[in-house]
Amino acid sequence: MGGTFVITLREGFEAALILGIVYTYLQKIGAQRHYRYATRGGVLGVLASIALGVVVTALSGPLLDLGPDIIGLAVIFVAVVVLTWHGYWMRQHARAMKGDVQRKIDEAQTNHRMWIIGVIAFTGVFREGAETVLFLWGLLTQATSTSGWASALGAVLGLIMAASLGWAIFRGGRHVSLQRFFGVTSIFLLLLAAGMFSTGIGRLEVMGFLPATPTAWDTSFLLDDHGFIGGFLNGLIGYRSRPSVLEAGSYVLYLAVAGFLLFRSDSSSPRSDAPKGRIPAHAV
Amino acid sequence: MRRALTLLIAGLLASVVAVAGTAVAADAPPEIALTIDKDQFQPSEVKVKANTPFVLVVTNKGAKAAEFESKDLRVEKVVPAGKTVNVRIRALKPGSYAFFDDFNKAATGRIVAE
Repeated sequence: MGGTFVITLREGFEAALILGIVYTYLQKIGAQRHYRYATRGGVLGVLASIALGVVVTALSGPLLDLGPDIIGLAVIFVAVVVLTWHGYWMRQHARAMKGDVQRKIDEAQTNHRMWIIGVIAFTGVFREGAETVLFLWGLLTQATSTSGWASALGAVLGLIMAASLGWAIFRGGRHVSLQRFFGVTSIFLLLLAAGMFSTGIGRLEVMGFLPATPTAWDTSFLLDDHGFIGGFLNGLIGYRSRPSVLEAGSYVLYLAVAGFLLFRSDSSSPRSDAPKGRIPAHAV
Repeated sequence: MRRALTLLIAGLLASVVAVAGTAVAADAPPEIALTIDKDQFQPSEVKVKANTPFVLVVTNKGAKAAEFESKDLRVEKVVPAGKTVNVRIRALKPGSYAFFDDFNKAATGRIVAE
């Protein structure tokens, strides 16, 4: 039971995290009516996961060998693009948003394309979705014995736990000021995207499209990225217990390039037209 | 911005498909069969020639999906129930490489390259 719990928790954690952030984001900019973008993205992600799970069991030959990998790669790199763009946008506005609350909310809604939120929610759910569907389906068909039921129950509890964490982020995030939320999540999305980028590069390496590189370090004896805490860190900041040189390098490279793009103008900071102390905390 | 994003995504997709196409067309390396049944790998030790790429033909005879995974090889591949999946493995240096079923940790094995 414990084993299946950790697996679904690990698979569902990243999706819960991303959904928690996008809903909080929409709530923060006063765009509750745009929740539907996140919801649609998430629901489509679940449907696509089920569809892929079903399709995979019907495929065979090269389609089965490469199909899921190609879809997986595409989802990863699309996720990297939308997360980067969203992080960049939030960063810009975290700095610029120093005026009155209503103005910055209006500005946020008119300047940001809401469909991006939908794409983020979709890729967040779909990324590990099909795998989870197959795993759950296998468990449920085996749930005839007591141990089978326990495994299935553990898996379902893992998903519920992941969803609760997403909910906790949403609840907790409401009490954080808009500016701080934007500032913190933009860094956070950057790390998340760096982890995904590194994973994508690692896949290309394993598939033989990029040259093989040796293992950069091995900390799996200390903190396994498939374990409970390691799995969290993996979803959170892209922690890997045994990355290749190329994976570790691409993580650093992404952080350096995206970090430069996001933070370069911080030092040459624009003047603010209102002191930030003027925003009452309860209003945001 | 929207157009640029669409172009970027389209470009990424196209390159992934193109690269995948080349891989399919490449020379066929030797195939080695591996079966998952009753929570075990058969054989649990796979002997291969070192420094030669090969294809692991993983067949799942069990009733539930498995995920062939190896941290040593950095491979993760879902094998649905009753299905066969080809896992391309690059040339390995001599040594032992552990693998397991990520969906069922009881099933483990290793590849020995010599």
